[in-house]
Amino acid sequence: MALAFILSPLLVIAAGGMLLMLAEAFAKPGRRGGLALGATMIFAAGFAFSIGVWMYGVEDVPERAMLAPWLQIDRFTIFFDAVLCLGGALAALLAGGYLPEHELERGEFYVLLLFATVGAMMLAAAGDVLIVFLGLETMSIGAYAITAFRRTSPRSAEGALKYFLLGAFAAALLLYGFALLYGATGHTDLAGIGEAVKKGGEKTPMMMIALVLVLVGLLFKVSAVPFHMWTPDAYEGAPTPATTYMAAVVKAGGFAMLLRVLLTCFGDKASMSWAAGWPPALAWIAVITMTVANLVAGQQESVKRMLAYSSIAHAGYLLVGVVACMHSPSQGVSSVLFYLLTYTVSTAGAFGALIYCGSRGKEAVTYEDLAGIGRRHPPAALAFSLFLISLAGLPPTAGFFGKWFVFRAAIDSGFYALTVVAFLNSVIGVYYYLRVMVFMYMREPAAGAPVATPMRSGYVTAALLLSAILVILLGIVPNQSLDMAIKAASVFGG
Amino acid sequence: MNSTELALGQAYFWVCAALAVGGAISTVVAKNPIRSAMGLLMMILAIAGIYLALHAQFLAAIQLIVYAGAIVVLFIFVIMLLGPDATPPHDKRGQVTRTAGAVVFGAAGIAAMSLIVRTAPPIAKHRLLADAPTDFGSVEAFGRILFTDALVPFELSSALLMVAIIGAVAVARGHHKSDARRAREATPTAAAPALGLTPSADLLRQPGAATNPLTSSAQTTEQGAST
Repeated sequence: MALAFILSPLLVIAAGGMLLMLAEAFAKPGRRGGLALGATMIFAAGFAFSIGVWMYGVEDVPERAMLAPWLQIDRFTIFFDAVLCLGGALAALLAGGYLPEHELERGEFYVLLLFATVGAMMLAAAGDVLIVFLGLETMSIGAYAITAFRRTSPRSAEGALKYFLLGAFAAALLLYGFALLYGATGHTDLAGIGEAVKKGGEKTPMMMIALVLVLVGLLFKVSAVPFHMWTPDAYEGAPTPATTYMAAVVKAGGFAMLLRVLLTCFGDKASMSWAAGWPPALAWIAVITMTVANLVAGQQESVKRMLAYSSIAHAGYLLVGVVACMHSPSQGVSSVLFYLLTYTVSTAGAFGALIYCGSRGKEAVTYEDLAGIGRRHPPAALAFSLFLISLAGLPPTAGFFGKWFVFRAAIDSGFYALTVVAFLNSVIGVYYYLRVMVFMYMREPAAGAPVATPMRSGYVTAALLLSAILVILLGIVPNQSLDMAIKAASVFGG
Repeated sequence: MNSTELALGQAYFWVCAALAVGGAISTVVAKNPIRSAMGLLMMILAIAGIYLALHAQFLAAIQLIVYAGAIVVLFIFVIMLLGPDATPPHDKRGQVTRTAGAVVFGAAGIAAMSLIVRTAPPIAKHRLLADAPTDFGSVEAFGRILFTDALVPFELSSALLMVAIIGAVAVARGHHKSDARRAREATPTAAAPALGLTPSADLLRQPGAATNPLTSSAQTTEQGAST
């Protein structure tokens, strides 16, 4: 019983996915509007169970050992379960408005969201490279399928194919890295690999090559430059709720995997040192990711593509937090966890606002489409502005504290140059986020130009309200969720 | 194990390895798709042979049934359905880049492998792994591990299979109309909007290009007319 309890977030989502599939199969055609509500309720139940398990505490459940070494259920896992369910719920709500509006309403979308989230939860709980791979593939295949959901659109098909081919390639590299790790250490469980790496002392070339291959595979999933080539096309081609899901849940799952694998397998002193370990490589990739993504994002004419590049830039900020784990893993990890929470609500809100600003045939895609929305439809523009301010990292929103804690962790670890680069980059970010607001409030559409008309959908409104409340709450009273992030990060020790 | 057996085992491995690499190369370079599929088949058979040498009989059988028996056959069916004319016109674009990429990647891979082989301590000296049980690789041993030690990943792999099936259905059904459109087309008054297909222009270079073919067909026709 206790075993089912600590696994309940994962089990609820998986069982809910199967129930939803049955409901879809037996629903009368044309009366499938409730599926979005059902999916949202399942995600909400998963969230509630995560909170319940968190309150009860997982440390004192002896049945935890029965899952070893495959699954590690600790506070880190439970925190991620909650964040993933939150992101999934927001994506399902947005899909409930978007899919019927754009005549894509098919029940598979929600089932795929649920099962891909199961994969992401496996990644957060993984204690063995086998589970890492299973979770990664479950999450990725779901993401490929929802990217290709609008198959009649060549852009959607192109994005999905790019994502699929490059994703398969990256998964193969990751698997190759795992195989070399097994060859070098004789273990497939992450803790065993970590022990062997620690004992190994000096690094053999085999271990270094394995580390490089694993890093490439991991960084691909979080779309860090130079492994980001698929991101803009996949994000732009996918239906916007699928983009939301990729930006929120898939990215969080990727970072859960990154933290687990790096800090468990390569968490010893030698691997975490600046001279012989992974931190310098990650630091450089963080710098390149932030700079390239922010510079390119500023040149985009499509708001959706701009948001795609912005999600790459946010992966760069998150990597700064991962690099900060070098000196104090708990502080670095807690800053990454809190940032992921704030980023999930902000980015889901921003994509949601983009969905809300357009309706069928009058979709908001470019900056020009948004011209004058502030005057014509004040609530839509207000919501969009709030989420953009949060993504830019300005107070009093969630994004401010997210960036604050990541930069703080980097400074406390002595990475002054890295922090300065990250700060300058967030200033560049403010430019293109504010540009959207300039168009919404200070421009008028050219005569005769197509204008975007906001859609009417209770689902999208609910998603926007929920994320707006969370963005403001996390921006004013971040204490409690930050405490939770710190507690979750403590599983990686001092 | 005496030295003759060892030498025989070595020879067997090298034959299988050479066949696998040869099959892989012919899969990639063959112009004729059937030849590619046959190269793939050769590689799969050779790898099954290597599994046999490692006492993984069950894995070898699965490799033959699933890959050689199902996947290659599926490939050949698709090739036959498409017909011999389905080969795409030879695309010269980016050939230099592609070749350079393949050479760099191959060189890096070979360099990495030779580095590993030269510096890694022989596994026999280190004895990383315990002795394999006597029934290692048999169906019984495999099944026992699958349902006892490895029960958790076994159960979790059902989620992977599920998501793959639903994903395939979702993508395959993408051509069908949604409920809403079917309902609307049933009423003759409302006309479905024309599907305009935009060329997949690179937005980096072409700012302002339409992003959503469903919505902006009119916009692109205007652009086309003005240029």
